[in-house]
Amino acid sequence: MAGILIYSDKENLALELLTAARIIGQELNLEVKAVTINNDALATALAGAGADVYGVNNDNVIPADVGAVASTLEQAAAKLDTKIVLLASDRRGKELAGRLAQNMGAGCLTDVTDIHINDDRIKCQRNALGGATVATQYITTDKQVIAVRPRTFAAAAGGEGKISLFNIEARPTKIKLLEVKTRSSEVVDIEETEVLVVVGQGLNSEGNLAEVEKLAKALGGEVACSKPVATDKKWLAEERIIGLSGKKCKPELAIILGISGQVQFTVGIRDAKVIVSVNTDENAPINRMADYILPADLHEVIEEMNKALG
Amino acid sequence: MNIVVAMKQIPDLHQIRMRDRQPVLDDVPLTLGNIDKNALEAAVHLRDTHGGKVIALSAGSEELEDTIKEALAAGADEAFMILDDSLDNADSSVIAAVLAATIRKINDVDIILFGEGSGDNYSGQVGSRVAGILGLPQVGYASSMEVQGNSAIVTRSLEDGEEILEVELPVVIAVMADINEPRIPSVSQILKAGRKPQEVLELDDLAIEILEEPVVTESNLAPETPRKQVVVKSVDELIAVLRTEGVIGR
Amino acid sequence: MEKFDVIVVGAGLAGLAAAYTLACEGLEVLVLERGDYAGAKNVTGGRLYVNPVREFFPDLWAKAPLERFIANEGFTMMAAERSLSINYYGNELADEPYQSYSVLRAKFDRWLAKQAQRKGAAVVTRSRVDDVIMEAGQVKGVWAAGEELRSDVVIACDGVLSLTAEKAGLRSPGIPENYAVGLKEVIELAPELIEARFGLEGNEGAAHMFMGEVTKGMFGGGFLYTNQASLSLGIVVSIKDMMENEASLGAPVLLDNFKQRPEIARLLKGGETVEYSAHVIPEGGYKALGKLYGDGILVAGDAAGLSMNIGVTVRGMEYALASGYYAARTVMQAKELGDFSVATLKHYELLLKDSFVLKDFASFKETPRVLDNPRFFTTYPEMLGDMMKDIYAVPGGAKNRLYPTIKKYMTLREMWQMAGDVRQVMKI
Ligand SMILES: Cc1cc2nc3c(=O)[nH]c(=O)nc-3n(C[C@H](O)[C@H](O)[C@H](O)COP(=O)(O)OP(=O)(O)OC[C@H]3O[C@@H](n4cnc5c(N)ncnc54)[C@H](O)[C@@H]3O)c2cc1C
Ligand SMILES: Cc1cc2nc3c(=O)[nH]c(=O)nc-3n(C[C@H](O)[C@H](O)[C@H](O)COP(=O)(O)OP(=O)(O)OC[C@H]3O[C@@H](n4cnc5c(N)ncnc54)[C@H](O)[C@@H]3O)c2cc1C
Ligand SMILES: Nc1ncnc2c1ncn2[C@@H]1O[C@H](COP(=O)(O)O)[C@@H](O)[C@H]1O
Repeated sequence: MAGILIYSDKENLALELLTAARIIGQELNLEVKAVTINNDALATALAGAGADVYGVNNDNVIPADVGAVASTLEQAAAKLDTKIVLLASDRRGKELAGRLAQNMGAGCLTDVTDIHINDDRIKCQRNALGGATVATQYITTDKQVIAVRPRTFAAAAGGEGKISLFNIEARPTKIKLLEVKTRSSEVVDIEETEVLVVVGQGLNSEGNLAEVEKLAKALGGEVACSKPVATDKKWLAEERIIGLSGKKCKPELAIILGISGQVQFTVGIRDAKVIVSVNTDENAPINRMADYILPADLHEVIEEMNKALG
Repeated sequence: MNIVVAMKQIPDLHQIRMRDRQPVLDDVPLTLGNIDKNALEAAVHLRDTHGGKVIALSAGSEELEDTIKEALAAGADEAFMILDDSLDNADSSVIAAVLAATIRKINDVDIILFGEGSGDNYSGQVGSRVAGILGLPQVGYASSMEVQGNSAIVTRSLEDGEEILEVELPVVIAVMADINEPRIPSVSQILKAGRKPQEVLELDDLAIEILEEPVVTESNLAPETPRKQVVVKSVDELIAVLRTEGVIGR
Repeated sequence: MEKFDVIVVGAGLAGLAAAYTLACEGLEVLVLERGDYAGAKNVTGGRLYVNPVREFFPDLWAKAPLERFIANEGFTMMAAERSLSINYYGNELADEPYQSYSVLRAKFDRWLAKQAQRKGAAVVTRSRVDDVIMEAGQVKGVWAAGEELRSDVVIACDGVLSLTAEKAGLRSPGIPENYAVGLKEVIELAPELIEARFGLEGNEGAAHMFMGEVTKGMFGGGFLYTNQASLSLGIVVSIKDMMENEASLGAPVLLDNFKQRPEIARLLKGGETVEYSAHVIPEGGYKALGKLYGDGILVAGDAAGLSMNIGVTVRGMEYALASGYYAARTVMQAKELGDFSVATLKHYELLLKDSFVLKDFASFKETPRVLDNPRFFTTYPEMLGDMMKDIYAVPGGAKNRLYPTIKKYMTLREMWQMAGDVRQVMKI
């Protein structure tokens, strides 16, 4: 039976893909299979969630060599009679998607935020025009590669799958891994918090962050930010970026302080239930998507709020 | 050293309006993708250190002949353009085929630079597809790079860390926006741009096979988020309405 | 270093008209524009009278992106709760070549810039001129973002607060009292709705002026023009009057109130505001004209004060186009003589004096003062409105004769004053 193949090097993302694959597989009558590369722990985890896993062990294939990973998956897809490959749309997955699709002669969609099946087609939603619009698209080619944004589906759990070993051809890699630096990833999960206090370039200085954090704490929430606050100014960790190249959040309350509201930002917060915007510029585009607008200096507002709530 | 920079012509996103949730693209001025400008800046920087040539490469509609001047003004030495009105909205697989076929026509290419994602589509496919077609090693999400002898040392920035890689040239690299700050060209650079060599190709000049509409767009709508847009006058008033909404003080 | 025959500052109508004319004659022209593109920041109510400038640019009009030709002129006196409108249709408005058109500058200016470029002019946008290069009292070029750009002559077309003319010592910085402020919205509306609401057919358009309550009696007025698929609606109000009038609401509120008037709201219904802009306008008139030339420099369009604010409406586009054209002709002559000093450049003023531009300004000399008469903006609109109410109201019982109705609202003295005011207006 033709199949649907999932791959991600990260356990949580692979388990999310398993859920997605099952939904699609059921509707389109496709068998779900998973591939792992040099990662027995992941194979066990996936099998533990009920997946049939094909484990590849080959030292020539390293995650940093996207070409080699794509070639591995291409070979697996061919041997396993695969119509659809589901990848995670994290950076690794997104980089891989194009190359794998090219190898397979497949149409490809990345950054997919929702999937539903309709007329036997996999209708995918993704942001377009820099986030200003949401497009519904589907692939028409026989083979399809779809990269799904993290957290679109819940992680699969329970079940009992089998693990088979699988051989592929791989030439020695031309990419030499000189050094790996892991980011001391703060354990913050702005996608899971109900209240977000989001700061942008309207914030005067890094020193003012303490007050922002105080406010977030008073509200039982977390601090998040626009991209330049993390990437240009480096005042906050990149995990806290909201938007097209950051996270997509759906808090109950988002208090947005000193952010102009370019689409690349708003795409990450537009699903919030209640949005408050504090901006000195009454005409800032962000105000058009706010429920409550307070035209004022954010520093004064934070101070007053802390006083009122403290 | 020859560096090709793939740059996409896109509508100026700040000028797009919505009418009945549909984007209105008529009369919207065209420009080059933001991150593609970072890629160009990175190329210019490499050329200034190592010598060689920076070639801007773009596939798009006829207007590209004007738009590409932005790249020539910002430091590219010459431009290769593939002009066809179908190309502004073509699928990534088509663009990749067109770009790869054109790169084959350019001699001695050492580095091919892309943006991490195009300004409008942001799907991050084209660079990987080109690397696939040309069978070259690739590094995406590059936050810094340098060239040492016959290889590139590139930092790939991932969600949970960075990897520093050494790759033999020729290589495909897709850069992130924070790799640099693109320069703003001066008037005289803009004026000189028009006189730099520009090569124009048409689809017929390239022997390529392309997939027939591999992706269909069923709809493309601005999301509907009706917002109250109530202006409040003070922090007290704000706190009061948020309490009423039940989002604070629970 | 680059050197040009001419550097034009500002890609508005004046600058582009000059650049186009010069480029057609083969001169090397550089246009510097601070906006993202030509027309990005240019505000106009929206009516262009083509006749006076038609023959300057014979090849241009056929393809120009003009919106609708004006076939219906309207004028409304607005009182607080009622208004009186006059609509004018005339055969001469409907006959080709049409007298005037509505235009959208964002489109028109970009198109005109393209035409100038086709003829060989270099138009560089996102480039702001900060100063002029002055050598021995003669302008030799400009500074833009720290870059020195040289030319035989500079044409300052940088609009109403012209920094270029100021830096060249041709005008002193203005004081706000001498200006009016204009606010404008472009409201998108389906062509069928526009045609139905304004009684138009095909490419016919309407121009409508409003006076009275629109500006709460302050010097100024409102305007409404129909475009292809949108309306241009706005107000113009004197800054001096706003500063003197303590109860003044501020221009944005005036515009909002104007939009909410029932007679206006119904015209806009279902439309969506897609553009909002504000701009200052010289109150000026003839007396406020700046110096038009200096050694190595000419000034054209709004930069020279060549626009006329007659309260309800502003005219400046055709003066900008014409002065740009004449500036270009003057430069061509100077180039032939190889002399860019005032000795040859002063010819520009003669050309303007001989043309409709300065003739208009001379004959409208008194306009701003005549209209700077509060009766036009308060007394008359209210009075007319009240009169109309009595004329049109049909109370139970016998209707009054007309004259007593009028007399009720006007003393003889007032009537005499009004007659005087009307005579003044006839000069406009
Ligand atoms: C491909 C691509 C992807 C991108 N992805 C993202 C992304 O994921 N996330 C993201 O955020 N951006 C992203 N961007 C960048 C985005 O386009 C904007 O540049 C960015 O969001 C702007 O950040 P900002 O609003 O904080 O800063 P600004 O645009 O500089 O706005 C600052 C605001 O603060 C206000 N302000 C100033 N002082 C005060 C004060 N004292 N009190 C109150 N208000 C004040 C100002 O009025 C202004 O509105 C992306 C861009 C591209 C091209
Ligand atoms: C609300 C309103 C309604 C109007 N209605 C009408 C009407 O119906 N009919 C009519 O005929 N006229 C009308 N006018 C007047 C008309 O718009 C102006 O007279 C006309 O635009 C003048 O053209 P210009 O080329 O001189 O200046 P502008 O059109 O103002 O162009 C000046 C250009 O110079 C650029 N610039 C400025 N400074 C610099 C710098 N330092 N460096 C580089 N570039 C610079 C600006 O960005 C701009 O593009 C109206 C004006 C307003 C404000
Ligand atoms: N039409 C095009 N012409 C040239 N380069 C392109 C084109 N489309 C995409 N690219 C390049 O490919 C990168 C990724 O694009 P995308 O796959 O659309 O996100 C862009 O940042 C550009 O460098």
